Amino acid sequence: MPSAVELVQSLVNGVGIGLIYGLVAIGFCVIYNASGIVNFAQGVFVMLGGMFAHTLLTQFGLPIYVSAVLSTILVAGIGVLVQIAIINPMWRRKAPLFAIILATLAIQLLIEQVVILTLGDQPRTYPEFTSGGPLKIGPIAIGYQLFWVLGCGALMVFALTQFFNRTRMGRALRACSQNREAAALLGIPVERMLIVSFALSAALGAAAGILITPTQYTAYSVGGPFGINGFIAAIIGGFGSAPAALVGGIFLGVIQSGAIVFFGAGFKNIVALTVLLIVLLFFPSGLFAGRAKSA
Amino acid sequence: MTAMADITPLITVRDLTARYGHIEALRSTALHVAPGEFVTILGPNGAGKTTLLRAITRLIASTGQIVFNGRDVTHLRTHELAGLGIIMVQEGRGLFGDMSVRENLQLGAYKLSGPQAHSERQLEKVFSLFPRLRERIDQTASSMSGGEQQMLAVGRALMADPKLLILDEPSLGLAPRVASEILSTLGALNKEGLGILLVEQKAPLALKLAQRVYILASGSVRAELPTQEIESHHDLARYYFT
Ligand SMILES: Nc1ncnc2c1ncn2[C@@H]1O[C@H](COP(=O)(O)OP(=O)(O)OP(=O)(O)O)[C@@H](O)[C@H]1O
Ligand SMILES: [Mg+2]
Repeated sequence: MPSAVELVQSLVNGVGIGLIYGLVAIGFCVIYNASGIVNFAQGVFVMLGGMFAHTLLTQFGLPIYVSAVLSTILVAGIGVLVQIAIINPMWRRKAPLFAIILATLAIQLLIEQVVILTLGDQPRTYPEFTSGGPLKIGPIAIGYQLFWVLGCGALMVFALTQFFNRTRMGRALRACSQNREAAALLGIPVERMLIVSFALSAALGAAAGILITPTQYTAYSVGGPFGINGFIAAIIGGFGSAPAALVGGIFLGVIQSGAIVFFGAGFKNIVALTVLLIVLLFFPSGLFAGRAKSA
Repeated sequence: MTAMADITPLITVRDLTARYGHIEALRSTALHVAPGEFVTILGPNGAGKTTLLRAITRLIASTGQIVFNGRDVTHLRTHELAGLGIIMVQEGRGLFGDMSVRENLQLGAYKLSGPQAHSERQLEKVFSLFPRLRERIDQTASSMSGGEQQMLAVGRALMADPKLLILDEPSLGLAPRVASEILSTLGALNKEGLGILLVEQKAPLALKLAQRVYILASGSVRAELPTQEIESHHDLARYYFT
């Protein structure tokens, strides 16, 4: 049996990584709700966020905050590009959703290859945003980066909720998620809303990647695992609201890190996938089904 | 084309044809609505009424021509047509079910990005037509009764400041009293000058309100009649079943 200290420590770690899954999950939800598309290239945004931030930091010598913001904007731009160049033409030709989803998978693999050719295949990392740490509470160590993840995560979810509930564009995006035909009939440019959803979703993924890289590493291949875990978190959250997706992420993160202390690191994914199957079997609409599906 | 010739119609549809796969659900259909006119389309189930309205609003692809206010709008998309003032209340209402009455109405005014004052005025107008919506303002759309939902659908469309209001069977599934309440409201709006194109199966009231009727069967217009010429329902039945 692991000690109490180990358990608390793993809880802390789990919340940290879970928040990252949560951000990726929100990215999945934003696109899915606006269009019905499950964007399997979601993980690639996480990877690009970290890779770009690293490049801006080390090759261009920019401060981390500037690198982080620039990298987020760049990745959002790539999200827009993917939407305009590939998704939208398919959408206009009324391609079946599964074909579009397959295309997003191809985009993920394609971007990974481009990253290998341009930035290389070596893993890399950069220092935490705030040096020093970890914060010691008795025997429990909390790295400062976790506070960055917590703070930025909370801020983004808050901003997103405000955006979806209070702004004209946010409401229009929600309208698209409920009934795209009705939205178009009221003059809402649905395709432009899909572009916005890709930009938002890519920015969220990038932010997740930028925030998590100092505590781990990033490489061309990290998109897959982040994508899958974010997807599981989105399913746990019911593909609905941003807070539900975030809770889904934390739930998954905590269970995974619990599995590591109880059974060893090799069980992390087995447990994640088991949780996915259990949720799909018993709560097919997510753990929060029945709640209003807004934001 | 007698009295009509000297007025530019609000909307003219020519030669509209739409297919589902190999099935031609709409065959070279033509119709027009004059400014301030109330036009009703009648026809049996499966006649192609919904298909016609969806083709006009570009929710489905079709061939043919559509002219709105003298401008060829054939190649515009649904949201662009809405921007010009062609607003449709869909069959089944098309409400944003998880959103509140307020949000549904706000979205109705989406294209009026300009002065807030205008949408406030529209809102007051919608509330005066359907006071029940004011009472339900924070309720989610899906939690309302069928009649209230239809009122919201019409109210939301009015928020968009339509020049031509298209409605696909707004009385479907409603009690006769509620249905006639909603249809009478349409009549009142028409008196104020709003052009209306209504698909309806509950013929009597729709006929009383309309100035002209098209009868659609098997995907094409069987007859076009001024309503005063329809003396009895036997007249209509003749068109339905031939
Ligand atoms: N999505 C579709 N795919 C294939 N066929 C369709 C589709 N929608 C309608 N149809 C067919 O096209 C024809 C016209 O349908 P439409 O819905 O326009 O009729 P309608 O006059 O609106 O009928 P109702 O009064 O029942 O609403 C019908 O034969 C119908 O079966
Ligand atoms: Mg119909």
